Amino acid sequence: MSRRSAIGWSARCFLAAAVLLVVACKAPPEWERGKKYFHYGMRAKVGSLDPVRASSQYANLVGSQVYDTLFQFKYLVRPPELEPLLLARMPEISEDGTTYTFELVKGVLFHDDACFEGGQGRALVAQDVIWSLMRMADRDLTPAGWWLYKERIVGFDDFQKRMNERKTGEPFDWDAKIEGLEVLDRHRFRIKLVRPYPQFLFVLAMGYTAPLPRECAEHYGKEIGNRAIGTGPFILKEWKRGTHFVLEKNPKYRQMVYPSEATKGVAVRDVLEPVGQKVPFLDGIVLHVFEQDQPMWLKFRVGDLDMAQVPAEYFDAIFDGERKLRPLFANDGVRNENVKLLDFIYRGFNMDHPVTGKGEKAKKVRQAIALALDTKEISDAFYNNTNVLYDGPIPPGLSGYKEGVISPYRGPNIELAKKKLAEAGYPDGKGLPPIEFHTSRSGNSAEQAEMLSRQMKKINVEVDVQISSFPELSEKLKKRKAQMFGLAWGADYPDAENFLQLFFGPNSSPGSNAYNYANPEFDELYKKIRTMQPSPERTAIYVKMRDIIIEDVPAIGSMARTRYYVFNRRLKYAMPTEIDSKWFKYLDVEPRQ
Amino acid sequence: MRAFIIRRLLWGIPVVLGVTLITFVLFNFFAKDPVVAFLGKSATEQDLQALRVQFGLDRPHYIQYLDYLRQIVTLDFGRSWATSEPISEMMSRGLGPTLAITIPGLVATTLLAVSVGLLAGSLRGKAADRLLMALAVAGMSVSFLVYIVVGQYLLAFRVRFFQIYGYESGFDRWQYVALPIIVLVIVGMGYDSRFYRSVFVEEFTRDHVTTAVAKGAGSGRVMFRHVLKNALIPIITRVMISVPFLVTGSLLLESFFGIPGLGTMLLEALNTADFPVIKAYTVWISIVFIISTILNDVLYAVVDPRVRLE
Repeated sequence: MSRRSAIGWSARCFLAAAVLLVVACKAPPEWERGKKYFHYGMRAKVGSLDPVRASSQYANLVGSQVYDTLFQFKYLVRPPELEPLLLARMPEISEDGTTYTFELVKGVLFHDDACFEGGQGRALVAQDVIWSLMRMADRDLTPAGWWLYKERIVGFDDFQKRMNERKTGEPFDWDAKIEGLEVLDRHRFRIKLVRPYPQFLFVLAMGYTAPLPRECAEHYGKEIGNRAIGTGPFILKEWKRGTHFVLEKNPKYRQMVYPSEATKGVAVRDVLEPVGQKVPFLDGIVLHVFEQDQPMWLKFRVGDLDMAQVPAEYFDAIFDGERKLRPLFANDGVRNENVKLLDFIYRGFNMDHPVTGKGEKAKKVRQAIALALDTKEISDAFYNNTNVLYDGPIPPGLSGYKEGVISPYRGPNIELAKKKLAEAGYPDGKGLPPIEFHTSRSGNSAEQAEMLSRQMKKINVEVDVQISSFPELSEKLKKRKAQMFGLAWGADYPDAENFLQLFFGPNSSPGSNAYNYANPEFDELYKKIRTMQPSPERTAIYVKMRDIIIEDVPAIGSMARTRYYVFNRRLKYAMPTEIDSKWFKYLDVEPRQ
Repeated sequence: MRAFIIRRLLWGIPVVLGVTLITFVLFNFFAKDPVVAFLGKSATEQDLQALRVQFGLDRPHYIQYLDYLRQIVTLDFGRSWATSEPISEMMSRGLGPTLAITIPGLVATTLLAVSVGLLAGSLRGKAADRLLMALAVAGMSVSFLVYIVVGQYLLAFRVRFFQIYGYESGFDRWQYVALPIIVLVIVGMGYDSRFYRSVFVEEFTRDHVTTAVAKGAGSGRVMFRHVLKNALIPIITRVMISVPFLVTGSLLLESFFGIPGLGTMLLEALNTADFPVIKAYTVWISIVFIISTILNDVLYAVVDPRVRLE
């Protein structure tokens, strides 16, 4: 065969393949031309939109746009404060703090859906709220927030027990009367608590409590988690799993206006321009789902996203040493806002463990490890030095937090650490078995664990790093099999009680007290504060409890993250907060041309 | 041939049974308790137990295994634990986006690699041959991830030839899948073009090709009747090896480019310990492997009359 003909044939093959690829390329469609759609990137996927399963930040982010709850946090007020959302006013609370009477706003409509008669969303009534709360008691729905209601509402625990012990085939009694959950009339309902629960209204601002119409839940059955039929400002139009959500403005959304109340320092830029105007301003929201940071950041840079969280690895490229936007971005009209998170990132100890848990000797070992730990190095290396380092379990922004170093065991102080280790009977680390440190595979946890291991070598403490998936780590904690572990707790509501309950003895594993910490003095104080309304007395007890934890060291190296948000020129009125996500309705964008 | 296919399909049954047994043992005896991942951070032991009952994990193992087999026979794998969606719907929804990348990728890679192999083979020993093979080796030496990251940055972000991320159905999908396809082609080209070159070198030097050229046969006749026809067996083998990967999806490509395919589905299922999805996926892959090997043998017989299927 001649060389020329071989070249000719290979050229023909090449041409055929090239045509395939060229045909593949086409200009992007302008499906939203002239419309005001806000584009935002999420870094995780959503499993279910059923309100009772809304435990993840991202499920809440989507759910908050379509489901309104009884309360929301004031958009421009810091520290966070509640305000009524589906309620006509704040509830009436009995003198003993156990009975709450609520009144709904009249004329609130559910989104139109085929599950309603005639496809038209009906009006929200008090029975919807009570029925939706009852769903939290049905284990078949795998509710993620039952713990917030457990032992709180009169008769609710008995009902939950009775329903979940019912025989196979016996239906759930949705019409049961529960003493603590009472419908008074079409728009009023009453909730009776077992004892005062000062954080109760925060719970009613969470996604778990969003009213869902009973007929729709029954109509769709298990599929209800793939839909969203709420009363919120946006309607779920499209959900392509793993890709995006498209939400459209709810044309029947009730009269709601942009807030005028704002804290000094929060009311910056343009955020007070639209005061008093009806919301939402947007025609819709597109929530893009990302697995990786690079495509999210590139989409933001080309203007396909209006707002994004700054990925950690891009931080130095975006901000200078003073954490100001570099000119490349500032000149493009990019702006940024930083949100301090109510976070408790820590390394914890299992207090049941004979070497690092029980007794005075073990306490000194924990103190030595705390003194050898350099959280600043961890923050520098893994969080771009944007974390707030603090002592104890109460993060900045909450009553009971104190700025600065308040723990005598804040590291790094290698000399003192060695001294403590010697006092514990392990001079120069001799005789101390390796410490098993358990962490999850997610993010840079493994690298952080390696850094911890290196830091501990300075006092001759060997750390055996054990990496597992998050479910595996959770199981080890529930079975008390992790000697030391790395975890984080994000606030469910803005109250230090949410962090202090992590150390309450009766909450030990498999409960939220993963340390299995049990201190009678602490427990007594906790029992006292859990029924106290906010007051200087309560704050004084918070401080006392914080100091007990600092002294006993069940957890070390407390850090709270700062989230950096950036937004493009076309986005207006943005003042991000992570305490809830109901503020998207206050945003506006310039139409895309 | 029909008897051969039926016999091979029957042989596939114990293979699938073996896969199901291994999968079942791994999930039920070695993996960690999946219910922990599904409940909130403060779930009690009663909550965990209730969910085990709901998922059917409290039943005897042999009942669970028989249920698994029933799902395979009926092709009804139930619902995902994480999303409550029917798994068959999830898989059929993921198949389209995955195939939208892998089929054009395989076709383009094969056409290009065959043409490069043909060119290099015909120029054997020349500078152009050496250059092409050096490029192929260099291409093979670069990580898949580098092609993705650099390709996305340069071609989608800098030059704006393609969409950076996302997926649309219908004709619009091409603007999203073109770049992943190009990456697949570049990654596949290195190995394939070297392989095809060696095939063509062997065919070009066969006596009957030399004789046909000497007798004055036209280039098309020599190419199709004498070279390509004989080269088809190794080409088919190479292509058929790739067939199962058409439907597995690529975890990296799909996650970087936002393609909601089967790779993304598997990744999500692994992250959430969604066992029913993982089990269905494993069975699906084993069935595709069995069918592709049968198809491979059948195609041998079609292109080479010396091969008899008995």
